[in-house]
Amino acid sequence: MKIKDVPQDGKILTNSEVRDVCYAVDENGDYKQVISVGWDPKNEAIDYAWETIREECEEIKKDVIAGKSSPLAYHIHKLVMTPEILASYSGFSKREIKRWCEAKHFAKMSPGELQRVADALRIDVKQLVSLD
Amino acid sequence: MQLEFVHKPSGHCENGVVSNLLRFYGKEVSEAMVFGLGSGLFFAHMPFIKLHGMAVTSFRPYPGEIFARVVKLLNVKMKKYKFRDREKAMKSLDEVLFTGTPVGMLVGVYHLPYFPKEYRFHFNAHNICVIGKEGDVYTVSDPVVVDKCTLTAEELKVVRFASGTYPPRGRMYHITDATGITQPNPGAIRSAILRNCSRMIHIPLPMFGVDGIRYLAKRMRKWEQKMGKKKAALNLAQVIRMNEEIGTGGAGFRFIYAAFLQEAAAVMNQPALRDFSVQMTEAGDMWRDFSYNAARMFKKRDGDTVSYDILAVKLERIADKEESIFRGLEKLMKNAR
Repeated sequence: MKIKDVPQDGKILTNSEVRDVCYAVDENGDYKQVISVGWDPKNEAIDYAWETIREECEEIKKDVIAGKSSPLAYHIHKLVMTPEILASYSGFSKREIKRWCEAKHFAKMSPGELQRVADALRIDVKQLVSLD
Repeated sequence: MQLEFVHKPSGHCENGVVSNLLRFYGKEVSEAMVFGLGSGLFFAHMPFIKLHGMAVTSFRPYPGEIFARVVKLLNVKMKKYKFRDREKAMKSLDEVLFTGTPVGMLVGVYHLPYFPKEYRFHFNAHNICVIGKEGDVYTVSDPVVVDKCTLTAEELKVVRFASGTYPPRGRMYHITDATGITQPNPGAIRSAILRNCSRMIHIPLPMFGVDGIRYLAKRMRKWEQKMGKKKAALNLAQVIRMNEEIGTGGAGFRFIYAAFLQEAAAVMNQPALRDFSVQMTEAGDMWRDFSYNAARMFKKRDGDTVSYDILAVKLERIADKEESIFRGLEKLMKNAR
């Protein structure tokens, strides 16, 4: 890649201090570091991944409204968590977290348990019991 | 308290932290040199390891490997820590920091406040360096950030004890004795290149090195019929993200390695290495072309004719190209005594 070809497709990184350092050759064929704000194919791959997560969340939402899944299942997915990771952050077992992903077990959670799960997800309890 | 630490951003976090740390002790070793000495170029496609439910494609060796190789080759005396207790991990950091020593550490990016939210997946092998503390706020040199940045003690504690795959568990490291550090020399470079050749062309398993690229090509051809359009596109997006995302870049790594070969040509007085650098640049450009076309796949504009077959052919060409580069490099280095 030549220095003039280093992409500067600002999208995801624009408003942060994070940048990509690229290596490209100058007119003498010598490698130099060039700072880039991003590249469209990469931005699109990241967008696509998030778009898919959002779509899957909508599906889970339907299950929650149908009374099958709990809002916890929705939040776990929305925050790209897994029951395993949430278990580790919250101190509950993976099995407990999975059970609470079902509506009927979620309804029996104590206020203390809700608080601990919400803290681990870094949201408040009000949000945890809703679909926001 | 702030250390006199020169922060330079880099293409890959592991190289960057090592390079920045060495500079603190008066040893100027470029990021590219660190990457090359660490035999950092790699490829692996591992269907038996899953990330977000999909096969892992990796363009880098296991986290920490580049680091370990460089430390050994340049004779850097290093101390490493791992903790069970969060408070102890923070206390230990302060103790070392206040002796005037910059401390490198592993963190998870999911809770890193200065990362754009789109980047915050559960990736736990990011390297940063702590270089100062005022009150409750640490000064941090993060190689993917342009300038020095800050984290509160609470924020740092959370990212040092992130959960998920490969949890960092408060891992940290620092240089204990810089007196014996050697400059990159022909012997070290030669053995690093040979090691990289061996990892790219001699691992007798189909998932690794240039064979791994072919393996991915072969599997990719069947994605659509095996898992449907949607899942296939997601798998492809994951490969591209692995290829291009911060600190794990595949095409980017080819360019860093090409930059290393240029430096190596000068240190070893081997002009032929410069030719290999040009070849490696071409391989990097081919990877970029692959990413560019792959991205069209999940955007699917009208009239687009990209298919998994076309992409697989591109991958096979890359595999051939890289195989010829590493075979040539191996021959050159074996004769270079």
